[in-house]
Amino acid sequence: MSDSGLKTSPAAPPRRGSVPLARIVPHRDAAAGAARYRYYVSTSTNGSEGDGTLEHPWSSLDAVLRDIEHRHGGASPAVKKLCGYDRIEICSVARPSDEPPPNQKPRYEFFVDPLGASDERSTGSAIAPWPDLSTALAGVARLDTSGALSLARGEHLRLTVREVFSATPVDLRKQRVERIAKSIFLLMTISLVVPLVLILAHLLNKAWPVLTTAFVFENPRNNMTAGGIWAPLVGTFYLVFFSLLAAAPIGVLAGVYLNEYARDNWFTRIVNMAVVNLAGVPSIVHALFGVGAFVLFAGMGESVLAASCTLAVMTLPVIITSTKEALASVPMSFREACWNMGASRWQTIRTIVLPNSLSGILTGVILQVSRAAGETAPILFTGAAFYVSVPNKGLGYFFPYALDRSCMALSYHLHVMLTQVKGATPEQIADGTGLPLEHLQYGTAVVLIGLVLAVNSVSIGLRVYLRSHKKW
Amino acid sequence: MSVTTANDAPPPHPTTAVGRLLARAGRLPEMAIELVIRLCGYSAIFFVFAIFFFVFREGAPMLMGELGLGEFFTSTNWNPVSKPPHYGILALLSGTLSVTLLSMSIAVPLGLGAAIYVSEFSSPRIKETLKITIEMLAAIPSIVWGFIAYMTLNPLIIQLTDAPIGLNVLNAGIILALMSVPVIVSVGEDALKAVPDSYREAALALGASRWEIVYRVLFPAARNGLLAAVLLGVGRAIGETMAVLMASGHANQIPHSVLAPVQTLTATIAAELGETNQGGDHYRVLFVIGILLFVIAFAVNLTADLVVKGIRGKQNV
Repeated sequence: MSDSGLKTSPAAPPRRGSVPLARIVPHRDAAAGAARYRYYVSTSTNGSEGDGTLEHPWSSLDAVLRDIEHRHGGASPAVKKLCGYDRIEICSVARPSDEPPPNQKPRYEFFVDPLGASDERSTGSAIAPWPDLSTALAGVARLDTSGALSLARGEHLRLTVREVFSATPVDLRKQRVERIAKSIFLLMTISLVVPLVLILAHLLNKAWPVLTTAFVFENPRNNMTAGGIWAPLVGTFYLVFFSLLAAAPIGVLAGVYLNEYARDNWFTRIVNMAVVNLAGVPSIVHALFGVGAFVLFAGMGESVLAASCTLAVMTLPVIITSTKEALASVPMSFREACWNMGASRWQTIRTIVLPNSLSGILTGVILQVSRAAGETAPILFTGAAFYVSVPNKGLGYFFPYALDRSCMALSYHLHVMLTQVKGATPEQIADGTGLPLEHLQYGTAVVLIGLVLAVNSVSIGLRVYLRSHKKW
Repeated sequence: MSVTTANDAPPPHPTTAVGRLLARAGRLPEMAIELVIRLCGYSAIFFVFAIFFFVFREGAPMLMGELGLGEFFTSTNWNPVSKPPHYGILALLSGTLSVTLLSMSIAVPLGLGAAIYVSEFSSPRIKETLKITIEMLAAIPSIVWGFIAYMTLNPLIIQLTDAPIGLNVLNAGIILALMSVPVIVSVGEDALKAVPDSYREAALALGASRWEIVYRVLFPAARNGLLAAVLLGVGRAIGETMAVLMASGHANQIPHSVLAPVQTLTATIAAELGETNQGGDHYRVLFVIGILLFVIAFAVNLTADLVVKGIRGKQNV
């Protein structure tokens, strides 16, 4: 949406070194998630066979190791293969159902890694892991019988399976957080799209009964309780045409100046700042300016001319910005080649720069058509009329307004229909001389929004076409 | 910088005196055109000053004369038709402020969230679709937003909240949020796009997830651009007229809740300028409000501009 609306230059990247880059979260063993498998052992269970759970712990480390071999190492279908970053913990408890303290570092930690060496040198450490589970279990059993292992109450022993490129618990948590973040952002985006769809559907649905060619091509009748919106529609065309007639040349030339002539100095910065600020002036202030400058000072009165001039000033900054962008996208080498042929600066602009950026400029200008057509505030006091009686046929049907008189406009017409028109009485509706007010209101709104979105679509389509047919 | 720019075009250099003279004569039309281009280039400055001048010109007699600025800013009594008339805009200011605050508290999270999604998480095809959709959202005219506020949101709010009237801060806030979101998304996305890809790649190489890139790399790096996006959204919300006029309920009071109708500065001008006689006190006070709005908008835009450019200026050193 880089072409629409106000736009400041994108932020420059900050200085090198001023940005704290991603900090790698250290691998904190205790907090990095619970083990996938946990078996309990308690010497106080005195030989009664358990199943490794906290309630029925095994009686000795040896029994646990056999159980693990059976559950994870064997070939039976019920075997839970270990993979990725699975971990087995053997936890020593004082008596059954005696919860060990949480988040404790393991007393011993051993590693199983398929890439580990299967010779005498592998000790189960992180550097020299055991190659597979049975070797690991045998290794632990050997250590146990030699008396090297002594698990106190509440302590545990951990056997970690490592596979290359498998997600560690930290990775998994990151992925989970990323998924959550992504869906939240998606939700936010959808919450912007849904209102648009709902609004359009609602308006279209309500306006459907009145949307006929007669509604568009008939003038308002009977104190605007019947008929269509032709007169306001033509008025909008008048305003858009004359405002663009003024704004487009000035805006495009100003864009040419800023991109092709202006040097990078304080004055140009002020000009650019003025463009940004002009774009940010509230539309009602534009209306006041129009009243002060065009209606009163220039003596235009409330007229098509005054309203068009006001709209022109309002659309000017965006035309300047979009032109500047379109020109900036023409590669420098085009200009250099032209200069090398001896062409002057203006010749280069006229024959090389402008033709190559024409569609980009057009995109920006077309976008302003829709903006000018939709604006209400700037024309409120400068030239929009509540009602103008216009001819129903002949040339006057197509050109109903004089430039020094005020005209109707679609946007203002919608405002009037909404706030000031009483609407047809039930009798009028019954005998066909009036339309329900709501129909007229929704019809006007839909035609206005349809006009604006149609113009916008042309602009977007042009841009998409342009991007796919780029010459460079 | 050693890069050639459009502004360093070499002038042609004829060698003989006659050739130089002829070249200069031949360049006359070109010089005329360059003059026109220059004048058009300065037009933005001219119009900014012209706007201030003409609005000030109409408002000045009142601003310099009878209008007490103390009462103007501190009184909530806005009653231009009473005798003597009272021109206190405190309630109008509070109306503008409350509506802007509410709309921004909706629009800023949604807008920045959407900007992040569009810029960092979506595939190119979805990105294009979303951008076009948001562009469409931006294209809906303000009077149509007012129409939606009046015809659709109004009954909906009455139904859902039991408020006596659905035209209030909440209504205007929602409408304004939807109107200013496209600006925030567009400028915010530009700001994120401006962060060099090498930053993202470096973070990825260190094992950061996308969310960590957004949170730890892009937020700090694009901080200024994102701030500018928010400021431009604020500017849009403060300056909006027709939609607010329809949606806010137009009641001159300091709002005590989000369901209270309010009156804003912009809506006051739009609603009352047509009823005043030109040159009267009321007429001139409305222009004084216009000056105030102009100054506020100017300040907001200037700040947004400086927030972006200030950093860039430092970087070139």
